[in-house]
Amino acid sequence: MKKNAMGRMVPDKIGDRIVTPYEGIYTRRPEGRKAARWQRFTDNQGSKVLHSIDETIDRVGLKDGMTISFHHLFRDGDYVINQVLDACARKGLKGLRLFSTALFPVHKPVIDHIKSGLIDRIEGSMNGPVGAYVSQGGVLAQPAVLRSHGGRWRAVEAGDVEIDVAFLAASQADVMGNATGVFGKTPCGYMTYSGVDAQYARKTVVITNELAPYPVFPFDIQQGWTDYVCVVDEIGDPDSIASGTLQITKSPTRLHIARLAAEAVKYSGYFKDGFSFQGGAGGISLAATKMIGEEMKRAGIVANFIMGGVTKLLIDQLNDGLCRKLMHGQAFDRWAIESLQKDPGHAPIDVGTYANYDGACATAMLDAAFLGATEVDLDFNVNVNTHSDGRLLHGIGGHQDVAHGASVAIVTIPTLRGRMPVIVDEVTTITTPGEVIDVIVTERGIAVNPRQPELKDRFIKAGLPVKELADIKAEAERLVQPVKTPVFGDEVIAVIEWVDGSAIDSVFKVEGWK
Amino acid sequence: MSAQTIVGALDKGDCRVTVTPDSTLKIEIKTKASEMLAEGIEAVVQGVIDNLPGLSPCHILVEEFGSLDYVIGARTETALRRAFPALGSTTPSTTPHRELPRDRLRRTRLYCPGNNPRLLVGCELHGADVVLLDLEDSVPPVAKGEARILVKHMLGMVDFPEVWVRINPLNTYGLEDIPEVLRGRPDGICLPKAEGKGGIQQLSELLAKTEKELGIPEGTTKIIPIVETARGVLRADEIAGADERVIQMAFGAEDYTRDVGASRTWDALLYARSAIVAACKANRIQASDTVFSDLEDEEGLVTETRQAKSLGFDGKGVINPRQVAPIHKVFDPTPAEIEYARKVVEVAEEAQRKGLGAIAMGGKMIDQPVLERARRILKLASMMRQEVTK
Repeated sequence: MKKNAMGRMVPDKIGDRIVTPYEGIYTRRPEGRKAARWQRFTDNQGSKVLHSIDETIDRVGLKDGMTISFHHLFRDGDYVINQVLDACARKGLKGLRLFSTALFPVHKPVIDHIKSGLIDRIEGSMNGPVGAYVSQGGVLAQPAVLRSHGGRWRAVEAGDVEIDVAFLAASQADVMGNATGVFGKTPCGYMTYSGVDAQYARKTVVITNELAPYPVFPFDIQQGWTDYVCVVDEIGDPDSIASGTLQITKSPTRLHIARLAAEAVKYSGYFKDGFSFQGGAGGISLAATKMIGEEMKRAGIVANFIMGGVTKLLIDQLNDGLCRKLMHGQAFDRWAIESLQKDPGHAPIDVGTYANYDGACATAMLDAAFLGATEVDLDFNVNVNTHSDGRLLHGIGGHQDVAHGASVAIVTIPTLRGRMPVIVDEVTTITTPGEVIDVIVTERGIAVNPRQPELKDRFIKAGLPVKELADIKAEAERLVQPVKTPVFGDEVIAVIEWVDGSAIDSVFKVEGWK
Repeated sequence: MSAQTIVGALDKGDCRVTVTPDSTLKIEIKTKASEMLAEGIEAVVQGVIDNLPGLSPCHILVEEFGSLDYVIGARTETALRRAFPALGSTTPSTTPHRELPRDRLRRTRLYCPGNNPRLLVGCELHGADVVLLDLEDSVPPVAKGEARILVKHMLGMVDFPEVWVRINPLNTYGLEDIPEVLRGRPDGICLPKAEGKGGIQQLSELLAKTEKELGIPEGTTKIIPIVETARGVLRADEIAGADERVIQMAFGAEDYTRDVGASRTWDALLYARSAIVAACKANRIQASDTVFSDLEDEEGLVTETRQAKSLGFDGKGVINPRQVAPIHKVFDPTPAEIEYARKVVEVAEEAQRKGLGAIAMGGKMIDQPVLERARRILKLASMMRQEVTK
């Protein structure tokens, strides 16, 4: 174990790969060449079509110990990961590394595949039950690795993760493997995550439920990247893409936070014609995004672009002329997908363009952004991965990418979730270093990072309720008795990577309470 | 005594406390993340027990759903007192004594239902000048008891800018409300359906008696009568001048329209509003307008607030936090008004120094009423600034 620049302990190695401890937000620069891609040859000229996952597994030569990748565009409505893993189980495979962009509650069967030994390593987000299971410790052969959207793209390009087989759900594909997630009977949205998997995987399989006449166009995945097109009955349920979190909050407290967050953007100094921001999909961010739109209308301002996970709200803002372009990171509901099919101002961008760690990604063009947190601490460090009880229940998403890219990164949090304080002395897990967090908005006031004195002045002049984070914390703590905190053991459950591939923190097994 | 007493609900923000007589005192906590939370919750329950001398042995089960300490404390106290009616009442120990200026800025009074933890939590944070915890219309008769205890515990723990409790009329549950909620030291008591001097004086005497019992400096608890009947409007002057404790009088249009059979239009209510403003100003107290009940209609809210301001009202009732900012905007003097007022005062003071009689500014006479108005605007502006920087 080594101590990194945040004072957190990280393992020396994960498997055979040497872990680089985090040194600072931009200290580590990409060097040398990217990983090499595989040459492809299709022997049955003119068609890559296969009709079962079992056959596909044989044809791609999937073996014990290999790495398989997926995307999570169907979110909690995905059928592909479970189907592929079941087929792998039927083949008696062992020791696979699961490299999905994310797992959701629908992927609970992954737990059984871990128990059976089919999967012994996971790199990617684990939202919900799989994360809770892995948090118990002792179930994987090596720590899980969590990366941001941009961090994952970088890891593949840099060769940190070599994908053996990519299984990419697409709602429409042709016999040569041109594929899209935007069109077809069950669309999941533009395949923003998958370009890097398709290009770098040793074998790339498009899994579709709709074989369309050649050529499918426009395509998200092009034929030169694919080896096989596997046709199945079902790939996912588009109606399950939108989950409960994608509703504008109704809670007076959360609406109050949203109002303050919108004001923070308004008085940030960036709120003028041509500005840009990223909305989130959480209840508070959605409300704040809506309020910013209303402010823009009042002020007669148009944003050059709005970016992020796309919901009906952002589509309405695009159609209302509130932004010139809507940069699409991921579709969060069916309106987002319908709009992709017809609105020219709605621009899908792959995750590499969005957030790759090259110093020039789209997130670097952001003026302001709303972000969430499970916890924040007095150094403005943010945790989005673990809960205060130490369990690993969420992925990073674009949190790090957006926080370091945006000029004003705004974290919106209630000070209490139930009885659980959200502002703590030290976050359980550091996902994003406080250095790149500019503002924390709570229902009790707005805290500005001391690194941003000008921003603080602007807020004070505008009459916003600016307070010290420690005072906000103390106010909240007056309402609840102190809570106990976990005591951690030595076993590393997961490693949290910073966007540059270094290890910013580890998630340890909980051994007790204090 | 019934075998089991249950208070509270299994709702988010609330908790359910079940008390069962037993041979020894036992506390059982059911909560999510029990390892982290159970000890703290038990400490809250223990705190209540310590303040209820003479408690018989019993089993106390607390099922908690993200409730703050004051909710748990209130539900526990209510359940224990229901199970053992001989028990006394607890007094929160944390409330400091304060007396706010009579003419404090009171542009908004935000109504919050007194028995709904989900809506009470954070109600102090929405920027309203006054929070009004309601025990009357928003609380059904069966819940009056638990509501007044919840309000008391909240008063004890939460830092309000200014807080009043709307009690029930004295001929219904009001007499029971006062001794309970005063333990939380609210800044004021709102008396609904005020109809004359007698009611106000009766309330004032009750407050004086209770203040004395609780060791609260006499006269510090203010009274805010709500006039919402035809009789009340006719006796507005008498009500406004009934007692030193009265600092503001409010208009309640919902009940008033029902009482007189009027429709809720500006014209229909103009007499009542004017009568109330005149009564308030004659007695040197503040006047506050009724609530605007269409949440979706911000334009209507702003229009009505402007009209109320032009009649002489100092503030308005609020039923949802989002109405606070638009109302404040109307009542706050504009930068142009402040600038003009500053000039008026300057010119007047200059003239006074030079011993001039009649003063003119920009061709307009500055007489005493103009000067007073200017001073009032500057005072409002300075209070506004204090609110902002607090």
